[in-house]
Amino acid sequence: MGRVLTTAILLAVLTVTATAAEIVDGHEAVFGIDAGYLSMSGHPSWTEGSVGKLRYQDDGVVLNRAFVDYNGRVADTLKVHIALEGYDDNLGSAIDFTQAYVEWRPLPKSDARYRLKLGAFYPRISLENVDPGWSSRYTLNSSAINTWVAEELRSTGAEFTISRRPASLGGAHTFSVNLAAFIGNDPAGSLLAWKGWSVHDRQSRFSDDLPLPPLPQIQPGMMFEAQDPYVEPFQEIDNKVGYYLNAEWQLGKKLLVRAMHYDNRAEPTAIEQCQYAWKTIFNHIGVQTTLPGDVGLITQWMTGSTVMGPVIDSAHAVDVEYAAYFALLTRTFDQHRVSVRYDHFDVSQNDETEEDDNSENGHAWTLSYQYSYSDTISLATEWLSIKTHHYGWVYYGLAPMATERQFQLTLRVRF
Amino acid sequence: MSGWFLPRHICCALIALLGMNVAVAGVIEVRVVGSDGQPVQNVAVFIKQAGVPSTAGETPEPVVMDQRDVRVVPHILIVEKGALVSFPNSDAVAHHVYSFSRPNNFVLPLYKGTPPAPVEFAHDGVVTLGCNIHDDMLGYIVVVDTPVFGLTDEHGSISLSVDDAASNYEINIWSPRIRDSNDPLVQSVSAIPADDVTFKLQKSLRPPHDGQSESVGWDEY
Repeated sequence: MGRVLTTAILLAVLTVTATAAEIVDGHEAVFGIDAGYLSMSGHPSWTEGSVGKLRYQDDGVVLNRAFVDYNGRVADTLKVHIALEGYDDNLGSAIDFTQAYVEWRPLPKSDARYRLKLGAFYPRISLENVDPGWSSRYTLNSSAINTWVAEELRSTGAEFTISRRPASLGGAHTFSVNLAAFIGNDPAGSLLAWKGWSVHDRQSRFSDDLPLPPLPQIQPGMMFEAQDPYVEPFQEIDNKVGYYLNAEWQLGKKLLVRAMHYDNRAEPTAIEQCQYAWKTIFNHIGVQTTLPGDVGLITQWMTGSTVMGPVIDSAHAVDVEYAAYFALLTRTFDQHRVSVRYDHFDVSQNDETEEDDNSENGHAWTLSYQYSYSDTISLATEWLSIKTHHYGWVYYGLAPMATERQFQLTLRVRF
Repeated sequence: MSGWFLPRHICCALIALLGMNVAVAGVIEVRVVGSDGQPVQNVAVFIKQAGVPSTAGETPEPVVMDQRDVRVVPHILIVEKGALVSFPNSDAVAHHVYSFSRPNNFVLPLYKGTPPAPVEFAHDGVVTLGCNIHDDMLGYIVVVDTPVFGLTDEHGSISLSVDDAASNYEINIWSPRIRDSNDPLVQSVSAIPADDVTFKLQKSLRPPHDGQSESVGWDEY
């Protein structure tokens, strides 16, 4: 309860700060709260150190999140973007950073545009989380792919973008390339391999400690006993620079396609301060389009691998491949929005390490309805069902197959 | 009584003189049809009198190009050379309007609310507008060297009045959606009333940039 109180006080301070910031020209801050009633069934949540794919494990009234998303124009072509998230849980401080970067946007002198981001930011993956505070515009809970992005991916470094809207094509087409070089983020992949995919609305902050399940292999006397029982996904472990390369094509307001190759170039045997480096590589494709009848379609697909530990019999001690995709259909009717999403996800295993079966596969359905009463207040209700086969759950005395369900009625406030 | 009338030969001469010196105004109806036979709306149409330079005269009141819902409204504006265009911002967020289209390139400072002074467009040509904060914002100002211009309606049509029905005219159309050519398409007419002037496009149109879809977002926060 003390924590809730602390959060409330901090939020009040943030509110005042945010409101004050709006008065000053060139500074914009969006303050947001998601709170409401939630009912669920399924395994105990991963956020409590278990394996459940949902964020909560009790029914009741919850404060999902409070955030401040600040954009400051320090000069006409220089923007500072800082996003703070407040959570009422025990995974970190009440309020912490999710993103903080400066972006230089020099004025275009031709149909080519150049952008440079410096700081800590999300890799350019999600097509869902496009609103202030990295909120999903379409649902309360992000897809499995973007939930993983929120849990474990953050790039600290530089992202350089070149984009062109050629006049010779009537301005209908925009082509962009984003190249990022980053440090940190070496433990990324720990949660995906050892916990699996999840579906929720929690974004990891920079000093969060994200709990691992009580894995047999991280117990005293076992192969990875040096691993903390939690993950600090944004740490630098091996002093190697990672990168991603993303290419995008946008055709008017009709079609957007993005494709990324990501490699954190981590050294799989490196360990520092009880956190392992995981070599995480993936390819990502995202497509967004408007179908006839003004129905929006968003789909993303990701496949990759993550490895950690010494090579034993031609595979790293933990060596998994993963893939996920989702398709989301959404339609607005004046102040109403209806969205439906199908997620599919799996993790397969190449290593033979005993008592470390990380393979899983499953799918999720999300049905969401939002009513925007005003620009400030909206009400969302969402039903979510995730069915998973995860063989390693037997280590914890849990059934290796589960259908987890969640129902939410959430008030979203933005000002 | 008969002395009240002018002699017939003088009368004929006068009529001939009037016919030479006083032009009869006419109307040119222009229609733009896509390769699929559908009318094309919002095409810039401008008509030049062959061999007669434009007499861009007084500076009129500024024309407005608004920024609303993170869009440039209207998406296409057509003005005569020398026109002033003001750029108010109806959004709660700041915009940073610029154009790299030489020689009409310009930059407005970052602003919201009260707009800066109107911009004069002293050269003809297409001016592409963007916002340096919202990359998806796009607008066009078609600056033309003639006072006879407009945009096609939902029927793909526009009627424009010209001063002299007996003169030769050059009819130009331009839209960013037209793929037949990036320069204006031109037809000449020499007799008015001629049949309606129809531009039948050979290639399919590019998709519109100013789509009204709100189901998915195209600009990240």
